Amino acid sequence: MRAQEQYTDAELIAAISAGRELNDAIQYIYRQYSQATSSFIMQHGGSEQDADDIFQETVVAFIEVVQKGKYRGEASVKTFLNSIARNYWFNEIKKRDRSGLRDKQFELSREKNEADVSHYISEMERKRQLRDLVDQLGESCRKVLLLFYYENLSMKEMVEHLPYDNEQVVRNKKYKCLQALAGLIKDNPAIARQMQEILK
Amino acid sequence: MTPEETRKLIDHLDESHTGRPSPSIEQLIDQDPQAAQEWYYLNLAVDAVRNAGLHEQVGFIKESLRKEQNAPAKPGYTEEYIAVPANQATRPAAKRPSGAIIRSIGKYSMRAAAVMLIITSGTVVYKYITVSSSSLYDRYFGSYVLNTSRGEATESPIVQAYDTKDWNKVLSLAGTAGAKDNQVEFLAGMADLQLNHCSDAITHFEQVIAANAQASTDFYQDEAEYYLAISWLACRKVNQAMPILEKIKADPHHQYHQKVAEMSFFDLRLAQYKENK
Repeated sequence: MRAQEQYTDAELIAAISAGRELNDAIQYIYRQYSQATSSFIMQHGGSEQDADDIFQETVVAFIEVVQKGKYRGEASVKTFLNSIARNYWFNEIKKRDRSGLRDKQFELSREKNEADVSHYISEMERKRQLRDLVDQLGESCRKVLLLFYYENLSMKEMVEHLPYDNEQVVRNKKYKCLQALAGLIKDNPAIARQMQEILK
Repeated sequence: MTPEETRKLIDHLDESHTGRPSPSIEQLIDQDPQAAQEWYYLNLAVDAVRNAGLHEQVGFIKESLRKEQNAPAKPGYTEEYIAVPANQATRPAAKRPSGAIIRSIGKYSMRAAAVMLIITSGTVVYKYITVSSSSLYDRYFGSYVLNTSRGEATESPIVQAYDTKDWNKVLSLAGTAGAKDNQVEFLAGMADLQLNHCSDAITHFEQVIAANAQASTDFYQDEAEYYLAISWLACRKVNQAMPILEKIKADPHHQYHQKVAEMSFFDLRLAQYKENK
């Protein structure tokens, strides 16, 4: 990992899109943008832990948006990240405390050039629910699925990282784990509702 | 959907990612609503896994940065701590450029280096003499406390015997148990380890791992791996323990990762070197 890598917005987007040096890009985002976001969240009723969690979710959402080619570059990376983090925190406040006072506080602090990211916020919420289901799977299934679908390892490579004797055992395990996860998703009422809406 | 059809969908999903989708399965998804629904959930599942992976990666970088920020001050600056009353936290004095201090440090640096060399050499010799697989076993063996929430509402006799540290009874009950599940095997291994029967403990822990591999399960998997390594240390076989400990250390998801990460691998390698001599 190269420390203190510097990027222009365009270079950062290119690096994330290509999946190159993702660790460097994440490091850069943290060094460059986390402080301002954290200060904002802590000034608006959040704890240090809240700020930490919100920024992590924001970075994950940003990388996914970029990797799916949905980042249009209409706003700078800084504005985009700020908008996501602020709106996500606003959403969190609404969930925790429904008083209108906080809504007003937030509205007063909105920047005029803030991008409209509301659709990303609902997507982030949905992803968080799905991620909770991955955690429910248990560690061995989680590991098998991460190695295959996130690390893109082959069955042969996976055998080296897992306590299983051969590729067939790993392959069977992967089938079972993915089916188990799909089952958990299917049984989740909130996600089932979304499914019904899609099928309408 | 039958399990076989779901498997075909999963194969199709995996092959779609590598650019080799199956036309017949695509047709099935287009024409069969049930298959289309299953396909949707499988895609959601893969998305969820990728999101979890990315979340983990970002979290890892965040933690590394935090550690870096908490690391000692950069060269060129020195930090002095001033004594404060016992009921207050120690607080650092203001940082200041170290130019003047470097001169005074230089005056003593050679002497300090010589002292450090003597201390380091002494430590290495001392370690070489004292470190062995059995001393490492004594240092790292800790008894296993059974998580009762994992068991049934009513504790089985073997669990009760284990909780009361009646190791011989645990072994006797394990010996007479018909079909041994992973819990019975694991507890028998722990009882053997407590009674210094390291070879028997190894057999039990290996049995747990083999049973999991066979059935694609993970009951007591992490526990069995860790205590298998500890049992090898007890049997004075550091060579067998090392690969297991290295695997646990490399795996941040392993239940015993933190424990192993805190072990002194210098000492372990020293013991390994002595064993191979």
